[in-house]
Amino acid sequence: MTLEQFKAIWVKAQAAINANEKYFSELDAATGGDGDHGTAIVAALNAIVNADGDDFKSYIENMAEKLETEASGSTSSLYGGWCEGMAEAVPAGKTELTADEVAAMFEGGFDEICALTKARKGDKTMMDALQPATEALLAAQGEGEAAMFAAAAKAAKEGSEATAQMQAKFGRARNLGERSIGAIDAGSASMAVIFSCFA
Amino acid sequence: MAMKKFMNDPANLTAEMLEGMALAYSNKVKIVNERIVVRAQPKAEDKVALICFGGTGHEPAMHGFVGEGMADAAVAGDVFAAPGGPKVFEALEMFNRPAGVILLTLNHNGDRMAARKALRMAEKAGLNVKEIVVAEDIAPGIDADPEDRRGLGGSIPLMKVIGAACEEGKSIDEVLEIGNNFHAGLATLSVALKVATHPQNGAEIGALADDEMEIGMGQHGEGGGGVMKVQTADETAKIMVERLVAATKLQSGDKALLIINGSGATTTMEMLICYRAAAKILADMGITVVDGIVDELLTVQEMAGFQMTLAKVCPTCEAYLKARANTPYWTCVG
Repeated sequence: MTLEQFKAIWVKAQAAINANEKYFSELDAATGGDGDHGTAIVAALNAIVNADGDDFKSYIENMAEKLETEASGSTSSLYGGWCEGMAEAVPAGKTELTADEVAAMFEGGFDEICALTKARKGDKTMMDALQPATEALLAAQGEGEAAMFAAAAKAAKEGSEATAQMQAKFGRARNLGERSIGAIDAGSASMAVIFSCFA
Repeated sequence: MAMKKFMNDPANLTAEMLEGMALAYSNKVKIVNERIVVRAQPKAEDKVALICFGGTGHEPAMHGFVGEGMADAAVAGDVFAAPGGPKVFEALEMFNRPAGVILLTLNHNGDRMAARKALRMAEKAGLNVKEIVVAEDIAPGIDADPEDRRGLGGSIPLMKVIGAACEEGKSIDEVLEIGNNFHAGLATLSVALKVATHPQNGAEIGALADDEMEIGMGQHGEGGGGVMKVQTADETAKIMVERLVAATKLQSGDKALLIINGSGATTTMEMLICYRAAAKILADMGITVVDGIVDELLTVQEMAGFQMTLAKVCPTCEAYLKARANTPYWTCVG
């Protein structure tokens, strides 16, 4: 994957997220959050596309910085941590990554998010999309980049859809208990949309 | 029902609100670096600084309690969204001093992550910062893990106690001990009659039928479990104060602070009636209530309901609660 391709994916993701802003907020409200995930994820993507950098490491580092300075709230903190972990995992000075380096990048991002939140797959959060997507991407590592991203997108979508039957254990929705069952988690839905842009 | 609020561009809510506060209380606070509210007259450099932060939309919290006797600065995020870690760090760096800085964090995911990032940056920069995490909501249960308890309106009297101790010239370790002691006997429970709407998208946060109320609702209208038919003021106050007494372990002979903190759309009349009921129950238990507060300290837009905060008050804390304060929304002659 080249840096130009990577940047273009985020521009595509921004448009896809923008188109679903209202839907994400409605999901958030339906699952007991404060109904602003659409606002939050749009702000996060707007910050991300403002990033600049001449190689993968500096570009992703700048994505994290933009997220933490230009946007507010837990979504941006989590995405900021994700980016920090990805930036840490890629070698300096590269404008093109091998499939193995891409896998390492997503693994690094996932590890850093795990340090930020105790939420994991099954807790009805963005992790229900990110964790299976990362796992699927790593499992398909030998099959090349296209297969890795296709597997990740599929796993993210299925993981997100599975949250409809889950009871929230994290975030504000946690306080709803059983009443949080029924709708898809907003953070997992937006994460699945982002992975679909990589495929 | 469609949202009905006085506002301009929803994107400018936080900036315009802060501007209004600085204009209305220009003798007490001013804004620096866009989102940091600081005292108009800074306190002496040799005293411990107190910094708080959080999402907006809960006015007058947190920025309304910057001033003499309380916070030195409050970092505002966006509506219901904590500021980013680097912005919180900016305030920590601004107030860094040999005496030290205390960061007051309310236990919500976004706030905790911002604090974590800010504290990491502070550590790297060699700043002398200590954190106090407020987690006094008893909605998840009296014996719930503190990590599962949210920080609610009890953070405001805690800020008063900590701020007064800083103002008096206590060392950072002494202030931490005073703050942690007060927090150990602090508990809040909320009740909601009507949900709030998110001012940026008009969405209703949560749902309550016309004949329902919910005990345990949080700062943003998040549900807390206790949905029931609307009760009278006396019955509501009784349910809440009894749980709070159990949580704070208050006993006959103890002194307590009782606060009815309106959520935004409940009348002062209703709040006073609920205060009366709770205060009487406490008196019957032999618990002496020091001067109470019936006011809006930490709101949730136009949510109807209130948070009831009960705190065990030692003689030191009582003196700090009554010590001089001059902030936009908490003043005390001292």
